[in-house]
Amino acid sequence: MAIETLVLGAGQEVGKSCVVVNINGKRIMFDCGMHMGVSDHRRYPNFSLISPTGDFDTALSCIIITHLYCINTLFLRFHYFLIIKISHSLILYSYIFFFGIICDSHLDHLGALVYFTEVCGFHGPIYMTYPTKALAPLMLEDYRKVLVERRGEEEQFNSDHIAECMKKVIAVDLRQTIQVDKDLQIRAYYAGHVLGAAMFHAKVGDSEMVYTGDYNMTPDRHLGAAQIDRLRLDLLITESTYGTTIRDSKYAREREFLDAVHKCVSAGGKVLIPTFGLGRAQELCILMDDYWERMNLKVPIYFSAGLTKQANVYYKMLINWTSQKIKDSYPTNNAFDFKNVCKYERSVLDTPGPCVLFASPGMISGGLSLEVFKRWAPFENTLVALPGYCLPGTVGHVLMSKPPKIELDPNTKIDVRCQVHQLAFSPHTDSKGIMDLIKFLSPKHVILVHGEKPKMVSLKEKIHSEMGIPCYHPANNETVSVPSTVYVKAQASDAFMERCLKPNFKLHKCSSQELSIKTLTDKNIVPELQVINEKAVFIVEDKSKKLKVVHNDEVLVMLGEKKTED
Amino acid sequence: KGDYYQYLAKFKCGDERKEAADQSMKTYQNNTPESIQPISMQTFTSMMNEILNPSTPKSTVSSIFKTLIHSLLHSPESHHSQILKLIADLSSHHPSLAQLALDSLQSMLPQLTDPPSQLTIEYLDALVNISERPVEVDDSLFTSICLAASFPVRLWMVRNSGCRVMVRPELLYPVLMGMTKEPYPCLREEALEALVRLGECAVFEEVSLVKGCYERGVQLLSDNEDCVRISAVRVVALWGLMLASFNVDTKTYWSNEVFAMLCSVVRDMNMKVRVEVFNGLGKMEIVSKELLMQSLSKRVLVLDQSPTEQFVLLASNVAGALVHGVEDEFFEVRKSVCQSLRTLTVLSVEFAHAALNLLMDVLNDYKVEVRFQALETMHHMAINHCLELQENYMHKFLDVLEDNSSEVRFSARKIVRLMKLRNHLLFKSTMDVLLKNLDSYPQDEADIFSVLSHLGRNHKQFVDLIANEIADEVEASFEGNREFNSARMAALLVLSISAPFLNADVCPIPPVIFSFAATFLSRICCAFSDVMNRDTLLEYLIQKSSSMVQPEVNISNGEGQNPLAKDDVQNVAGNEMIHSEITINNGEGQLPLSKYNVQNVALEMKPPNDVGQHKRPVHDSVVLTYINYILVKLPNIWPKVQSCSANEVLCSLRHWKEELTSLTFDSSAPADASAFALLYLKIIKLVVEVWDHLVRKTEVVSGTVELEDKLEKLDGRAKELMNRFIGFSAEEEISVLELILLTYTLRLCRSEICSRNFIFKRMTIIYLRTESFLKLRSDVASGFVAELGSLIRESSNGGASCSSLAFDNCLKLFSPKRLMIREGIRHRRAELSIPNNCPDYPLPFAPGLTASIPCDITIHNISSNCRAWVRMCINDGFTQHVYLDLQSFEVSGEVRKISYAVPYYRTPELDSFNLKVCIGLESLFENVTPVQAHGGPKCELVLLCEEKIVYLSRVL
Repeated sequence: MAIETLVLGAGQEVGKSCVVVNINGKRIMFDCGMHMGVSDHRRYPNFSLISPTGDFDTALSCIIITHLYCINTLFLRFHYFLIIKISHSLILYSYIFFFGIICDSHLDHLGALVYFTEVCGFHGPIYMTYPTKALAPLMLEDYRKVLVERRGEEEQFNSDHIAECMKKVIAVDLRQTIQVDKDLQIRAYYAGHVLGAAMFHAKVGDSEMVYTGDYNMTPDRHLGAAQIDRLRLDLLITESTYGTTIRDSKYAREREFLDAVHKCVSAGGKVLIPTFGLGRAQELCILMDDYWERMNLKVPIYFSAGLTKQANVYYKMLINWTSQKIKDSYPTNNAFDFKNVCKYERSVLDTPGPCVLFASPGMISGGLSLEVFKRWAPFENTLVALPGYCLPGTVGHVLMSKPPKIELDPNTKIDVRCQVHQLAFSPHTDSKGIMDLIKFLSPKHVILVHGEKPKMVSLKEKIHSEMGIPCYHPANNETVSVPSTVYVKAQASDAFMERCLKPNFKLHKCSSQELSIKTLTDKNIVPELQVINEKAVFIVEDKSKKLKVVHNDEVLVMLGEKKTED
Repeated sequence: KGDYYQYLAKFKCGDERKEAADQSMKTYQNNTPESIQPISMQTFTSMMNEILNPSTPKSTVSSIFKTLIHSLLHSPESHHSQILKLIADLSSHHPSLAQLALDSLQSMLPQLTDPPSQLTIEYLDALVNISERPVEVDDSLFTSICLAASFPVRLWMVRNSGCRVMVRPELLYPVLMGMTKEPYPCLREEALEALVRLGECAVFEEVSLVKGCYERGVQLLSDNEDCVRISAVRVVALWGLMLASFNVDTKTYWSNEVFAMLCSVVRDMNMKVRVEVFNGLGKMEIVSKELLMQSLSKRVLVLDQSPTEQFVLLASNVAGALVHGVEDEFFEVRKSVCQSLRTLTVLSVEFAHAALNLLMDVLNDYKVEVRFQALETMHHMAINHCLELQENYMHKFLDVLEDNSSEVRFSARKIVRLMKLRNHLLFKSTMDVLLKNLDSYPQDEADIFSVLSHLGRNHKQFVDLIANEIADEVEASFEGNREFNSARMAALLVLSISAPFLNADVCPIPPVIFSFAATFLSRICCAFSDVMNRDTLLEYLIQKSSSMVQPEVNISNGEGQNPLAKDDVQNVAGNEMIHSEITINNGEGQLPLSKYNVQNVALEMKPPNDVGQHKRPVHDSVVLTYINYILVKLPNIWPKVQSCSANEVLCSLRHWKEELTSLTFDSSAPADASAFALLYLKIIKLVVEVWDHLVRKTEVVSGTVELEDKLEKLDGRAKELMNRFIGFSAEEEISVLELILLTYTLRLCRSEICSRNFIFKRMTIIYLRTESFLKLRSDVASGFVAELGSLIRESSNGGASCSSLAFDNCLKLFSPKRLMIREGIRHRRAELSIPNNCPDYPLPFAPGLTASIPCDITIHNISSNCRAWVRMCINDGFTQHVYLDLQSFEVSGEVRKISYAVPYYRTPELDSFNLKVCIGLESLFENVTPVQAHGGPKCELVLLCEEKIVYLSRVL
């Protein structure tokens, strides 16, 4: 028996996650992402490899979507408008590129789903966690509009397709075991990373495997660390985005950030934090709200309205998917009801005195954040904190090099005298986290996906040398086959059962004997008579080709019988 | 044939029938044991009720007990568990029967052990519950139970072995080791737990045994069940340490192994496992420095020197273990990490420095528990001298002082107490933060003061640097019209007086600071409570500042008031005196601080020529000086009263009053002085209150009533001040007179008051007195008195013509004199006691006849020519005065004790009545209206003591 893994996407690359696993004849597709960097057919996984005839219903048992980076994209459209408005001539080109990458990191686990189910025609069940299911239609619709209306591309699927597709989706909760069919069981484990992200455990017969999706082993303030049971796994398919990085404690980064903000605020300055997605904004907001609370600071924190509304709706609804901190404090106060955060109004911009403002979109690429930036940047006591990476072509990116002036367009120049603080938070686990997870689960085989090739190679070497676990990093459209566990079913004799129920050790110092109930051997290599443990158990194969487990007391009797028979 | 129902019905009906019930019980047991029917459910509940009811008689309980034991032998097994439970309950409620129950159960046990079953366990369970000590079980029983086929039986035995059931360790060990391989996870868990218990109490001679157990634990660290892993971590930590301590040579090696083994499970997915790991790490006794450093870095460290083989092997396991712990999602884990750092930081100094970085980050944690634990760890480090706060940490640390959780703040301050700061700037910023703290958390005041005093003691050189700034600020605020009583002032004073505490060498702290500090005595004494008590502190302060008192008195005697010039003089004089005194101190030799107590200080403080004298005079003068410090401040606050900020002034007055009342005295002289000062303050306080009313013209109705009341009180107090004190010096006399004039003026300011003429008359009398007094001393009258004089002369026809406005003007001129009390003041007072009288033992009387009331009277400072009276009144208001002829008593002197049977003439026709008795003195000045016509005192009486109630009852 073997587990065959066909990598359709994210093999030796980042994005377009799609892995089809065949366990004991059951085929499961994990994630169904699309690549946004390219616009031809390579954007979608090559589904024809699953079934050349296109009969996916029989070829696949189910599709499992681990997560989606939904909330960022909700604001993409808004974002897009503003860029055009501000400087169409300059940024229009870079926009396309830029948009592509954004979606690349966010739609890479789900993007092709509608295409696959509706256009290619798959009617089997699709599994997602509750938050993912709640957010997927919003995101897909948004994505479709952008794709079709702005980019002027040929419509691959329409709104009805999305609705149809969502009807096939079955939502699962954490640690809920779902019996897909007679043999196939799946279960979701918490993965951190983003709201609703999960690792999936699949079991067919005796073979078990885990597909991690993206996960995070160090907890955030608003999302917890990945959690999983110790399982007997044959195969672990893990992401390896940061396969070689080891991150230091994020406390240091948080501390620097808070110190910078505190210093600025106590000097009477204003702090601008341009953030994109709600995930990151929430993280920082919790961090600062706590700090404000502890330090008894009275400086107002403003959160622009659109962000707050969205955040409250989703996070309050999905409190079970957040971190322990939030769950702890939930009965007394919802962590997303920030005590020190006030509602943003336009008058804030010109009010004198210190304040902190979270403004969308991130990277100062337009909208409110750009407007505020234009007003505040010329003052020396202003601080601009940039959480996360800024793409080239945005003001944020230019700002990181700390220029004296920024030219938005030929008519607009901004004097930059403010301070700039960068913070790097990543929701992906680092290589230590990957190693720790592998060590904890100690599977028999590991397959790496979703990472750059050189990093995967070095991680593979490390796993192999440190833990002695065979490890693979297949490229796209390659198949890896690993042997799977099959328990041999054997009949146990009554005498054996009786002995098993009693502890079978004798009272000599440290001389207890191995007790084994099950022996894990492949059927092919079972000889006619095998001695597993000399003093305890014998496995006998009789004429009817059924295995039988007997106790050694009985063996002599049976042997005698056999001899006579022969 | 008896019936249980009947029997129990009898139980419930009263005590008389209980005997009968017992009787029937007994017969029934004796006669037909085999025919007993099984006890029903209902019977069990009623028995239970009887047992739980504490008023059930002993005999009933014992008969229930007998029945139970009896039925245990004769009823079917299905009932046994309930009977056993009842027996256990019974013996826990009635301990006298416990031993008996134990014996009978033990005797029954052997019959049940073959083969061991659920029932055996129930018996054992009952046995264990009844017995307070662990039950001894013999080997064969133990092994047969442990090898029993039934899983719950084994589980019970393992769970209880080693704690409630005693088994030989030699037997227990192999059995438990075998159990760890059981297929049932909870059996494995319990076996491991039992091994932990075993490891805690038993001592093993053989290394192989310990090693075997340790290795078993290590194997089970990768068990699939969470609960097993938790226990396995415990086993590894405990037995690993035992293994390490076997041999001194290999101790480090094995400790490192155990450390690495524990660290390797730090990333377990179960929170409890992680907590347990860090608890285990906190028990490590020795770990190599490299491994400790490695646990703080997620990357495998590259060492300078060639690493040991062991390190290379273990490094990747250990890497970043503590960092992961600190970053954990669950606060329990983070707390546990902080706790484990407590012991680990002691192991290596270098590690302690590095770990501090981690702890600093933890101070940002959102959970109070974690922050608190981190600070406790830092405190522990500070005690072990491995805490060194760099400048960049200091900033962070000071933030913690402002934390909004009080535990965290207290804990942070505990660390500040132990800190040695490197430079002046840090010291200053620490001080600033503490002072700011005082503003934001006034409830922490005592603790902050104490911290400041430690800070001052530890950093004398820095305090010296800022001493002058402090002195300026303090003086400015004491003289100016700013805060008189603020916590900030007190804090600054604490800081500056604590600096020269240990070191008696020359310090630039002006002595005037010490005198200011004395006025805050009760507030700040807690800051020094670890080294000295309140009285000692007072003496210390007086000693440090005593040099300045004398000059000041002289000056105020001499001439007018120029506070600025005066202070200069004080400073100069003070400094000189301090210098001289310090040389004396040095000559005598220093006493260690910890042994500071009253006597030591007293000895040290006396100038050498006084050493032989009695201690008291020193103390007296100390108190006196102290009182004077307070009184000196009065004129300073007056401008505040005028500027309508009465509340603040009242606040400080109240504070001073508290200070005064909290003083204790050895002798009478200072007590008199302080009584005077107290009364003086009370009057001032009332004046301020009234003043506030008048000036602000708050003419609310309720306010008016209140004002009347206050004026009334003020009048009484003023009279008291006049009459109850003698031996004033000239200045004191004038101050007092002025104060009384002031009270009258205040009354006159109220135009509604009807008896204006009367008051005016009295005021005129007092004024004349003042005037003559001033003339006698050829002094110039103060502005207030002069103005008042002219007012009185103008309206010689009586006060009615004067407008209240004129008096208002007078008031504006008033300001209290600088008052210095000297020892001459005597307080006239009396103590009255009626022996053997209380509501239960009243004095006898016959109606219509004179009753005699035996009084023990002690009078202080009353000369024989004073007219003293005993006043007695009944509730209905009738009053009788009896003249107390002081001359007729033989005894004389300042304190006189008199026993005198006071006659009471008008005993009423009642069964019993109460008399209010007190002693009064005829007021010398106010003979304006006679109070009582027939034979009573001619002038108003000033009461010298509290009224005593005398109980009288009719003779039967």
